Amino acid sequence: MGAPVLPTVLFPSWGLTELKNSTEKAKETIKKELKSRPLESMIDEIIAERLKPEPSVLGRGDYFEIPDKMVMFYKYSYGGQSKFFHELKENAVLYGAKCKSCGMVYFPPRTHCSECYSETSWQRVSNEGIVLSSTTSWYATSDFFDVVPYAVGYVKPLDADTGILQRIDLRGKEVIEPGTKVTARFREKRIGVVSDFWYEMMEQD
Amino acid sequence: MKSYKQMKIDKRRVAVVGTGQTKFEARTPNKSYFELAYDAAMPAIKESGISPESIDSVVYGIYNDLFERQIMPDTYVHDYLGMYGKPGIRVTTGGATGGYAFRAGYTEVASGLSDITMVIGVEKAQDCYDWAQGKATPEVIKSIAYSADMTWEFPLGTSAASSYAILASAHMKKYGTTEEQAALVSIKNHGNAMFNPYAQSPMKITVDDVLQSRMISYPFKMLDCSLYTEGAYALILMSEEKTRELGIVDPVWVMGIGSSNDKSFTGARSVKDRMGKYGDIADLRNHYEAANQAYLMADIENPMKSLDVAELHDAFTFTEIQGYEAMGLCGKGKGGKFIEDGIPLINGDLPVSPSGGLLGAGHAVGATGVMQIGEVVNQLRHMSGKRQVQINHGMGLAHSIGGPGSSYCSVSVMGVD
Repeated sequence: MGAPVLPTVLFPSWGLTELKNSTEKAKETIKKELKSRPLESMIDEIIAERLKPEPSVLGRGDYFEIPDKMVMFYKYSYGGQSKFFHELKENAVLYGAKCKSCGMVYFPPRTHCSECYSETSWQRVSNEGIVLSSTTSWYATSDFFDVVPYAVGYVKPLDADTGILQRIDLRGKEVIEPGTKVTARFREKRIGVVSDFWYEMMEQD
Repeated sequence: MKSYKQMKIDKRRVAVVGTGQTKFEARTPNKSYFELAYDAAMPAIKESGISPESIDSVVYGIYNDLFERQIMPDTYVHDYLGMYGKPGIRVTTGGATGGYAFRAGYTEVASGLSDITMVIGVEKAQDCYDWAQGKATPEVIKSIAYSADMTWEFPLGTSAASSYAILASAHMKKYGTTEEQAALVSIKNHGNAMFNPYAQSPMKITVDDVLQSRMISYPFKMLDCSLYTEGAYALILMSEEKTRELGIVDPVWVMGIGSSNDKSFTGARSVKDRMGKYGDIADLRNHYEAANQAYLMADIENPMKSLDVAELHDAFTFTEIQGYEAMGLCGKGKGGKFIEDGIPLINGDLPVSPSGGLLGAGHAVGATGVMQIGEVVNQLRHMSGKRQVQINHGMGLAHSIGGPGSSYCSVSVMGVD
């Protein structure tokens, strides 16, 4: 290839104002047009509409472009961590794992200690915890766009040595500061996934 | 276990003797990933003055199968480049893919398995397409989000930005780093890119532009974040004996390589664990460790007194600030002041990312780390055109990081005799 020439424009084709507005626009679109049914079936329909003029071909020019997707189905086992999900789903309680040798309490749990390589035993951990650090997401994939802004952060239960990534209810705040005290809340209909619970701030200010 | 210093004595010296790249662009629909790799490989081979047949082995840095819409994409690149019959391996370590691919290429030559090894980083990110929103980015970040632990983290709506934003928030809280200081990194790197004809995002911007750009994942705004990029970068690595045999006049030597992975379950990083001496979630602990290893191997005691240039992995502005500290360019928690003082500016005491870095040149994931090593090589060979920095000591550093909570880090120190 030949050497590219120096750019003559200072800004790319998108402007800063456009950047600021497009999150809002995308949120509106998602709220209006989606979420009434699964995203995947909606997208299949959008693609079918695009392909009406000429089946299978999206665009022609100096390249030939087609739509495609990859879908996989699984029967996935949580293995040695299964008890955590069982207790979460059935009893709305949180289990960590304590090393039988050095006493380190892991949350999320693991079957063996990664510090001293001994086995661990199951141990209930407190619903109350401390935020180690968090962020507030304002941009997401389509699956999460209708719920922005939302906070995710690492929360260490008061009686554990490690923290778990979890959603933290913003309750109108924009940022959850490191050091904030939080407590776990559980969905009424739990299916055995990590998003069956979340954290909320303990103090209200 | 052998010390890194001992390794330098025992192993063969390895040089980079040629670089080649494509322009980094948002999307290149007229090129497939193997065609992009071809477009970077051929100029690198030509510049090195070797023939494709003389290459003994190839290392491919390609991050994401979902980007490429292909498992084992390297095997198709290998075929396309006519490398059949020779060994080829692929490295995939998130954003650090390029740095780790270089490490693998170095070991090929240093061990004596190969005399000439080609390292190619390539990525074709933006064929992922979100039909609901009518744009690529949300689907691109989804394909990256699958790198988060699928059981514990992915279902919460995490992204690459949120993973690094959590580290930045901790750094702000612990050391008082500000969004204004981070904005200075964005201004610097987008500005440097204006002198890089291969860069994706050359821009002249202000602190206000950065602060007022839309929020992505607090504290990151749009202009704190690198963009997704398609492109390729190739390096030719050669043993010392081979450089003499072929009469290479400007070899750039690998002086030191250090690499370290921290816990990818970021919430487990504690001052009480084996890496606790480097800090906690606010500190990029594996970056400190990787830099220490690389400096030991390269005999560097004070990097500010030995390095002429550094390319840091600024996927996000705050990450570069954290990188200043971990690379030992300033004290712990002083990264914000380091940029305020203008030290990493292109005409400062230690220019950082004259290429424009990821923010300015673009983040073609697998190619990024290879590009930054190539930039250091070309700076040391005085081949960087309008963005050439002053070379006094003949040494430069490239920093390549990636993974959840920046769990991968590889640091390469390059030098000229």
